[in-house]
Amino acid sequence: MPADPFAAPRATGGRAPDVFRRGGWVPMRQYRDDDTVDFAVVGTGAGGGPLIAGLAEAGFSVIGFDAGPYFRPLEDFASDEREQEKLYWNDERVVDGANPLTMGGKNSGKAVGGSTVHFAMVSLRFRPEWFRSRTILGYGADWPLDWREMWHYYGRAEKALSIAGPVTYPWGPKRPRYPYRAHELNGAAQLLARGAEAMGMKWTATPLATVSAPHGQSPPCVYRGFCRFGCSTNAKQSQLVTFIPRALRAGAEIRDLAMVGRIEVGPTGLATGVHFHREGRWRFQRARHVVVAGYAVETPRLLLASANGQFPDGLANSSGLVGKNLMTQSNQAVFGTMEQEVRWYKGPPSLSITEHWNYEDRKDFAGGYCWMAQGPLPVEWATIQTTSRGLRGQALRDEMEKYNHQVGLKMVGEMLPDERNRVTLADDKDQYGLRVARVTYSWGDNDKALINHALDQMQTSLEAVGAKEIFRQENDTNHLAGTARMGDDPRTSVVNADCRSWDIPNLWVCDGSIFPTTGGVNPSLTITSIAMRTADRIRMLAKRGEL
Amino acid sequence: MAENQLTDLAAPGIALLGLGVLILSRRRRPTRVTALPVLAAPPVDRGTAIHAAKRLNRAAGTLAASVLADSAVEHYRGSFHNKAMFAPLVTSALSLAVSVHGVADKRPAAHWFRDTVYVVAGLTGLIGTAFHIYNVGKKPGGMSWQNLFYSAPIGAPAALLLSGGVGFLAERVRDNKPGTDPLIAGLPAGRVVAAATGAGLLGTVAEAGLLHFRGAYHDPFMFAPVTIPPVAAGLLTNAAYGPACSNRRLTRWWLRLTALLGFAGTGFHAYGVARNMGGWRNWRQNVLNGPPLPAPPSFTGLALAGLAALGLLEDNPDG
Repeated sequence: MPADPFAAPRATGGRAPDVFRRGGWVPMRQYRDDDTVDFAVVGTGAGGGPLIAGLAEAGFSVIGFDAGPYFRPLEDFASDEREQEKLYWNDERVVDGANPLTMGGKNSGKAVGGSTVHFAMVSLRFRPEWFRSRTILGYGADWPLDWREMWHYYGRAEKALSIAGPVTYPWGPKRPRYPYRAHELNGAAQLLARGAEAMGMKWTATPLATVSAPHGQSPPCVYRGFCRFGCSTNAKQSQLVTFIPRALRAGAEIRDLAMVGRIEVGPTGLATGVHFHREGRWRFQRARHVVVAGYAVETPRLLLASANGQFPDGLANSSGLVGKNLMTQSNQAVFGTMEQEVRWYKGPPSLSITEHWNYEDRKDFAGGYCWMAQGPLPVEWATIQTTSRGLRGQALRDEMEKYNHQVGLKMVGEMLPDERNRVTLADDKDQYGLRVARVTYSWGDNDKALINHALDQMQTSLEAVGAKEIFRQENDTNHLAGTARMGDDPRTSVVNADCRSWDIPNLWVCDGSIFPTTGGVNPSLTITSIAMRTADRIRMLAKRGEL
Repeated sequence: MAENQLTDLAAPGIALLGLGVLILSRRRRPTRVTALPVLAAPPVDRGTAIHAAKRLNRAAGTLAASVLADSAVEHYRGSFHNKAMFAPLVTSALSLAVSVHGVADKRPAAHWFRDTVYVVAGLTGLIGTAFHIYNVGKKPGGMSWQNLFYSAPIGAPAALLLSGGVGFLAERVRDNKPGTDPLIAGLPAGRVVAAATGAGLLGTVAEAGLLHFRGAYHDPFMFAPVTIPPVAAGLLTNAAYGPACSNRRLTRWWLRLTALLGFAGTGFHAYGVARNMGGWRNWRQNVLNGPPLPAPPSFTGLALAGLAALGLLEDNPDG
């Protein structure tokens, strides 16, 4: 039996776990606390992972910190929904607002590799217009990035993650062929396709970050279906099995079970390193640059918690926008029952998709959304039945008997940025003695209009394929964004297009926090693409002596 | 999960079978075909014709063995949910058996039972191809890449068509009057078999190309079946239309290379099985899930037929 990954750090003594071999190790360079490393990166997920690897490969000395453990996928991931909750950031938080968010699996991860260890692998590109949504579409805010440059980085990210996607993608400008072919559609995905065809909409196999043929040490997906949990075969191309091993080979150090609690800023107004908690004590790591990549709650929390005399409102917060404009994505669903067996739990849950309403602007609200086929596992399904329909006892039991016949569609919808939706610090303290985040969220009228539109459309699609006993799951949300938005103007943004903070030139933010708008697709591929771009930009700035 | 199988597209096989049916009623004439560029030379002796026929029986048997193993694995995987899924197992087994019989048979005349089995096998392949096309077409998206990748493989039943077709041609070559050149439908047998085999090879290349594309050519050796056999097909087609009695050393060696590739392919596919989760320790899942072990020898079967045709072309002035 492997040692408990939570009991003590695994990446120590000059080695880190080899995620591809049971009990295996790979060599790892290690730095002393009083070494001044070039970069201390806080977070190892979709944003931190590619940046750590990219910077290490460029020759910088880098340490990646993660508060979570260093899992061994072949040994640590049981086929058990409850056991897998260990992958989420379930530390205490305060949630409020008119529509308080449910924090956990849908919007966080606490592990080396971040939430990509359990993400659903859906790897979509933004619609190009979203990078100029204020100018072109009239809502939200413009990004300081050009979509054509992003198209280049999307291509690189797709290659790095061996995305398995359709031979031709039906929406948006031309994109290069996906590195791997799409997976076979399961019953639920075929029903989405039939519904979309009945409504005259295009559909396609969803581009997924799980390989459909061998890649390196990853075997092809075995369609186990535990896809929104840890993948125990390494078919899922999470950061843990892609960029993190690359980073180690390039000489980066990963510190697992290392919670960064504060960024130190010196009298010159520059960051000097990070205070982190590991193995029961607080230590300080010197660094020339600090990158925060903790996602939309932990990133503003750390910036706010690092306030000092010089920066009393928190770091990088001269605009007052740190923590503001938090966005989630609407994740409502419509479910029904088919006469024939569907067995929606087979394979990845989101095998087909329609992005119709992301590319169709004739509607009376701003923003877009897509929907995907669904395959909730039994515990999640029972939870939906109890929370959305209030079923208990015999009624719940009877409903669960229909599990093999049930089908569903779930949206990923764009919510608009609103300064009232925000992350602040509560007075409660967590196990590290740090003030916990207060997450305040309320849906706006536009958000509600979009959700209602989507629910009607998804219901129509299910009715078109003959589903009966249709019901709506109306209150679910998932991915996060915002809270440290990027922009062209220091007064209205926290970081610039290079993810560099306007206020402190050696402090960077590189995760979903920098999104000015969140778009109507899953954000991970965009985060990874931006992180790869940021690594390139830092290399370029260093060459020019502008670092 | 419909799975990779190898083999051919329907068209060449159907053409081959059609040709075979056409000539069933034809009598061989002792005259030369003057439409083809041929050199005057003495007629072929009976022993040579029988030797060539036996080689074609062997090729038909190799194809049948490939189909038997492949359809057994893949249709088992499909739980034989349709009774018709047993058909290729029965007919390919019979085709294999009569091919063995043909290889051992030294007599000069065609055998009615072998003929019957080869025709039935060919028809089964034809109907199977239609079934598989229907299977692709009924999925959402119709004839799309996605469905060509994952539905019943269109090319697989065509291998049975080819087995029946090659076997049928073997019988025609054998059924040769003493003192005449082997003819099929009035055409020199070597040329007919060479042309048909060339087309069959190209069909098989198309199937391998499709399924290796689905595998994203993740291993560079996956390019081998889409580069080596097309050259063999080209050389063979060239031989089919070129002058007879010339020594085609390159063609012969290239066909031998293609025959070898068929066996090597099974080795590569065994490695592919090992790269699936659990490798060979988990063989009961991965033999079904990984690249199909019995598929690549289809190339061997076709290359053997090509070599037999080449023998006829080289030995005979006319065919």
